[in-house]
Amino acid sequence: MGQSGTAPLVQTSGLTKKFGDLLAVENLTLAVEAGQILGLLGPKDAGKTTTLRMLAGIIAATSGQARVAGFDPSASPEKLHEMIGFLPESPGLYGKLSARRNLEYFAGFYRGIDGSRIEAQLKAVGLWERREDKIGSFSKGMKQRLALARALVHDPVVLLLDEPTAGLDPQAGRELRQMITTLREQGKAIILSTHNLPEAESLCDRIAVVHTRLLAMDTPRALRERLFQREIEVELQKPNELAYKSIKDLPYVKAAIIDGCLLRVELSEPETMQPNLIATLVKAGAKIMSVTEKRHSLEEIYLDLLHKEADGKR
Amino acid sequence: MASARRINNILLREWEAIFRDLNSALFVTCLPVLILAQAMVVVWLLAHYGGEAVATSSVFMTAIARMAGAMPSTDGLHNVDMLRLLLLNQLPLYLLLVPAIVAVAFATFSILEEKLTQSLEPILATPVRTWELLLGKALSGAVPAIAATWVCAGLLVAGLHVLQWDHLLGWVMTASWYLALFLLTPAVALLSFLLGIIASPRAADSKAAQNIAILIILPVMALIGIQVTGQVWFTPILMLAISLAVIVIDIMALFLAVRLFRRETIVSGWR
Repeated sequence: MGQSGTAPLVQTSGLTKKFGDLLAVENLTLAVEAGQILGLLGPKDAGKTTTLRMLAGIIAATSGQARVAGFDPSASPEKLHEMIGFLPESPGLYGKLSARRNLEYFAGFYRGIDGSRIEAQLKAVGLWERREDKIGSFSKGMKQRLALARALVHDPVVLLLDEPTAGLDPQAGRELRQMITTLREQGKAIILSTHNLPEAESLCDRIAVVHTRLLAMDTPRALRERLFQREIEVELQKPNELAYKSIKDLPYVKAAIIDGCLLRVELSEPETMQPNLIATLVKAGAKIMSVTEKRHSLEEIYLDLLHKEADGKR
Repeated sequence: MASARRINNILLREWEAIFRDLNSALFVTCLPVLILAQAMVVVWLLAHYGGEAVATSSVFMTAIARMAGAMPSTDGLHNVDMLRLLLLNQLPLYLLLVPAIVAVAFATFSILEEKLTQSLEPILATPVRTWELLLGKALSGAVPAIAATWVCAGLLVAGLHVLQWDHLLGWVMTASWYLALFLLTPAVALLSFLLGIIASPRAADSKAAQNIAILIILPVMALIGIQVTGQVWFTPILMLAISLAVIVIDIMALFLAVRLFRRETIVSGWR
């Protein structure tokens, strides 16, 4: 059972893929529930696409287990494909066919999809007015929206999205992210691969940092807290050595540094101890201009994880 | 039922792609007619200008004698008619070039399109099975190739009327003719397409793929060479045996194509 008490729609255990001697994915264990977005974050060739292809039943795992929408991808890919929607990195559409015909063709591989469903999908991605245009004339963003409509045409419960916003302009990327958010609200379990850190942070409930193997997986906030101590920055009106000395040896202060007017303090329990810290500083005569909590960006977390992994391999 | 629907889905889209492309449409319509026209012109020229001299030359005498032995009585036909008959009886074999060339061209066109658009990966994520995908594609190439061959056969019969060679029809439209058209032609078309499918993913571009798969034309040319020089005459029994042999090779080629059409190679290697 997942954290919300529901069975995960995607679950892997020790999933591994080798291409000859090349280890593409190593011992990957993860789970995604309905209404959740898991971001696979990693550099190029980190095994993100290979992971999605294994989950989509397009390529077989070398070892390990996976269950996607109740099916083993390697054992019953045809049944699995009725339940999943897959958006590859390249839209993979036929440039000489219209948007409607492209969608009709892919819908033709599923049971019971009629014209009204195709109409609804084209409307949902904002391409109904351009339905008869050949997609060779479409922008990359429009093609990507159509590819998303294709992935959704059979109303799958699990969505696997490979770099869905790669190469899109900011507006198109934003539109696509909004659509993905809406799909989460509809209860779909979504795994998306990305190397776009702000996108992962804004879109994903949890992030799995991967580099062939899983380096860390948690919510963006928990990842920050796990990897970095929470740091308070106190801006003083003027440098005050006395104030610094008054707090540096307090039991809840793990570290403190003063740099001119800026006092940086690491607290063991920031929520409860921050008011005490401020009170002590004021009592020592400090005039405080501002107090901010320094937030580490996902980029810092990501780079830190990759550096630690590289150090570990040396 | 579901398989038939998916195969039909592939078939219709392939035809849409082929016949919306002017080059492909011209290829499937014009090339067979050109192949036939060229053959008819050669037959007419040889019979008209070579006449008695060619018919009685040592090159053709053996073949004409072997043909006469394998056919209903040809008494009453003069030497030039016998030469015409000899040449016209090569045409069902010669027309095998049509399914061979057309089908292999369609196969490479089809695979190349999937490569260029990178559309196979999303297709492989649908419930379609590998054999359904390959059969749909094979039929989409084989059916027009077979149809084009049959149209050419019809044009050949019409051409005989135009040339006022109708009296030879009975010796041209023999059991071997029907076996070549209705058994060997579909078998060759399917084999040609499957070889194209097998060769295409391994070739760098469509020309290289066609060069590999076009090798099927060589045995077809060999069949003509064997018969026209009088080494062997393809009686109905022999034609049936050849057709069945090609059908067996078809089945083996289909298994090989399904086996070699590895999803993993396609999605990771087709970039």
